[in-house]
Amino acid sequence: MTQLRNVAVVGFAQAPIVAHDPHRMANEMLYPVVREALAQCGVERDAIDYQTAGSADYIDGRPFGFVAALDVMGTWPPRQDSHLEMDAAFAAHYAWIRMQAGECDTAMVVGYGKVSEGQPERVLNLQLDPYYLAPLGLGPLSTAALQASAYMARSGATDADFAACAARNRAAAARNPHAQVRDPAPAAALQQTPWAVEPLRQGYVAPVGESAVCLILAAEGRAEAMCRAPAWIHGVDQRAELQSLGARDLSRSASATLAAEKALAMAGLGSAADVDLVELSAATPAEEMILRESLRLPAQGDGRPAINPSGGAIAGNPIMMTGLIRLGEAFRQLSGGAGEAAVPNARRAIAHAAQGHCLQQNLWFVLGRERRWS
Amino acid sequence: MQEPPKEPVKYVEANVYLPYRYIAGDYRARAMHGLKEKKFIGSKDSKTGKVFVTPLVNSPESFAPCTEFVALEGRGVVTTFCIVNIPVIGRDLQLPYVAASVALDGADISIFAAIQECAVADVRMGMRVEAVWKPDGERTGSFDDVLYFRPTGEPDAKPETYLNRL
Repeated sequence: MTQLRNVAVVGFAQAPIVAHDPHRMANEMLYPVVREALAQCGVERDAIDYQTAGSADYIDGRPFGFVAALDVMGTWPPRQDSHLEMDAAFAAHYAWIRMQAGECDTAMVVGYGKVSEGQPERVLNLQLDPYYLAPLGLGPLSTAALQASAYMARSGATDADFAACAARNRAAAARNPHAQVRDPAPAAALQQTPWAVEPLRQGYVAPVGESAVCLILAAEGRAEAMCRAPAWIHGVDQRAELQSLGARDLSRSASATLAAEKALAMAGLGSAADVDLVELSAATPAEEMILRESLRLPAQGDGRPAINPSGGAIAGNPIMMTGLIRLGEAFRQLSGGAGEAAVPNARRAIAHAAQGHCLQQNLWFVLGRERRWS
Repeated sequence: MQEPPKEPVKYVEANVYLPYRYIAGDYRARAMHGLKEKKFIGSKDSKTGKVFVTPLVNSPESFAPCTEFVALEGRGVVTTFCIVNIPVIGRDLQLPYVAASVALDGADISIFAAIQECAVADVRMGMRVEAVWKPDGERTGSFDDVLYFRPTGEPDAKPETYLNRL
């Protein structure tokens, strides 16, 4: 391939993130969202060449739930389809690769998962190795607490720094109608909340959340007809590191750092400071600070680029969708759909997704309002 | 100190216990309430009028939403079947029994049902059957409220009446 193909996000719809939707199954939550995303693009389902989903049947507890979802994705007549047991942002990357290979021009990416029906701490325990770590009963919250401790020890960050970070995200989330935690709280108040797992307090982490998300991608030539202001993908990269927590420096993320360098280079940018906003799949303040360092941005504080104008994952962390929502938020910002949360004159954005314990796998998208390759 | 094992460890048993607490969802809840009243609830494709039972959120075929519900009696036709010789956990079915696709009258897709009260060799495509329900007062709004289906003794349905509902 001599030149990469321009691919853009052209549509995005999501159900508001809630702790528990008592009336609807995952399929029932997803169908209206799929309809809305197609309607935004002014197309019917026959305009979509390829469909891909990020979900986990262990989250829903329903065998072959991902097959049942095809009905509400509009998979008729049958078309190319795939499913990832990962955050749906990784499915979006998959679709981007297939477009680079010329196998499709348009793609639908969905994410869903009724986490309230099972026990995600137990399900995600199974992502750890079955000999040494899983039998300890570690869940994502306890491993995130290990990472937060390691980060504090290296960087000198304090409980007050974590509280400030959480307060900043919650203040932003108050302007985001889709966020789950929409009540702003001063840092001092968050510091009074009980430990979730020390050193993480309940005020620093999102409660369990569920939603349903649909994002539409289209290649140059199709994208312009489907969207007034497409968000073009300028760079993308993902990297994975060792599963074993003891074999890596938890106070840093080598994979996030390397993937960010590669994605920025693909986008032709010298540094992350050249973008207007960054959306991070950081479920804790420590993860946010580690990811900021991966982008070579100051670990804390406000400024440019704006970090998490949506409130980020700390204000709503629906498993299997958190990363795809970051990509959707970047699209909203660049296409003028961010409403009250809009970053003025946003022209370039970075969206991040993570998978596994302690930022084991990281994916970065760099997006812009202009096409990257002429 | 324990003696080291003479044989290398070849596998580790790791049992997984994952509890869930489902909600039925709007569509399935309607279906379950219907069973209590000895009705099968279907949903209607708002574009083509096709009826899906148990109810679907949308038509997979036309992609239109199913916004209307219909109540069907528990009578229909065997569209296809097989003979089963292994027991089903939690079900008190006499072996061997017939597992059949039954297209209910008024429905455009079939449901799975067990056929009882007849010799397995007598079951055939086109045979008319009806649901046998748990007695009044014992139905709880569960799919177990339907015990099984049995022949009605009516004349067989003609193939052209059910071939597109297999």
